Amino acid sequence: MTVDTLPFNALPFFLNTDEGERFCLYHEPEPGVQPRGTILYVPPFAEELNKSRRMVMLQARAYAQAGFGVLQIDLYGCGDSSGDIGKAHGEIWLNDLEQAWRWLDQRNLGPRHLWGLRLGGLLALHFAKRVNPASLILWQPALSGRAHLNQFARMQSAARLFSTGPSVEQNTEIGGYLMSPSLSKAIHELDAAKLTPGCPVQWLELNTRIQDAAEDYATAAGISHPALQPASALLITRWRDAGATVHTWSLHGDPFWSSAEIGIVPDLLAATAQAMESA
Amino acid sequence: MPPLQQVCQILITTLGLRQMPLSEKTPLLGSLPELDSMAVANLIIALEQHYGFEVQDDEISAHHFATVGTLSDFVVSKMA
Repeated sequence: MTVDTLPFNALPFFLNTDEGERFCLYHEPEPGVQPRGTILYVPPFAEELNKSRRMVMLQARAYAQAGFGVLQIDLYGCGDSSGDIGKAHGEIWLNDLEQAWRWLDQRNLGPRHLWGLRLGGLLALHFAKRVNPASLILWQPALSGRAHLNQFARMQSAARLFSTGPSVEQNTEIGGYLMSPSLSKAIHELDAAKLTPGCPVQWLELNTRIQDAAEDYATAAGISHPALQPASALLITRWRDAGATVHTWSLHGDPFWSSAEIGIVPDLLAATAQAMESA
Repeated sequence: MPPLQQVCQILITTLGLRQMPLSEKTPLLGSLPELDSMAVANLIIALEQHYGFEVQDDEISAHHFATVGTLSDFVVSKMA
């Protein structure tokens, strides 16, 4: 992929907040390209943050080449930011996003957009209620904070299937993070069904390829896009009924945020670029 | 597509078993080296996303993950 061979060109810095510093990366709009706005990226949780860094960096660079300034922030207690997630209060991540949002405002580059992956998508939906972004770009958003945290907690349960010795109770540990009750409660309460977006949404999701007769038929007929996941389709129908504008792209691709090896899905990068142009 | 076939496809894609033939009797837990605890967690996530149901903690038992057939039966029971 050609974009992958370009030099890495982003400004790392620490953003001061009332409660410590947050590690940020800012991708400036490509010199010579007309600036079109800025995008705040809201990252996913725990190991998904690390696994997805490469895809996110490629996408941020693509946005920068299209004239957008992109700010990545590691939230309190995550990645390279300060803070102990075991002591975090429920509002802390939203406060971080607010600081980052203000920082982008000072760039004076035009409309501000929000882009989130997985839990970051759900956080972006919630945060959008406060700041009214020009649009929301959602990559495989988590639909429910409770279900999402349960998925992380499940890794501990799955490990039990393989252990022969007595099990070790680690009730409050989620995905290797010891999360404070206050933050965990705030995430549990996030529910996409209750967060009908007030701005246009670009919804992009990946589905693993399931080769069957229907798929063979679709391929033969020149239809190469999979259907949305049933749960996404249901949610989007409800949002649309409530007046939301949602553009959807469903693509074949492996889940790069959880795959054992660092994955790249070029189709998602292409679709995301197209989504911004056609939205 | 019948549930058994769907479950096979989800197993193949989630665990990366591209070349492996699966049948109802194919043993899973303890027999497939690909199926470690991380893979079990990812497999459950894939099933949840595909079918839209939620798997509870106490449902993660070795019994359901014994064979392709028992896993498919579990999916059918969740859909009921």
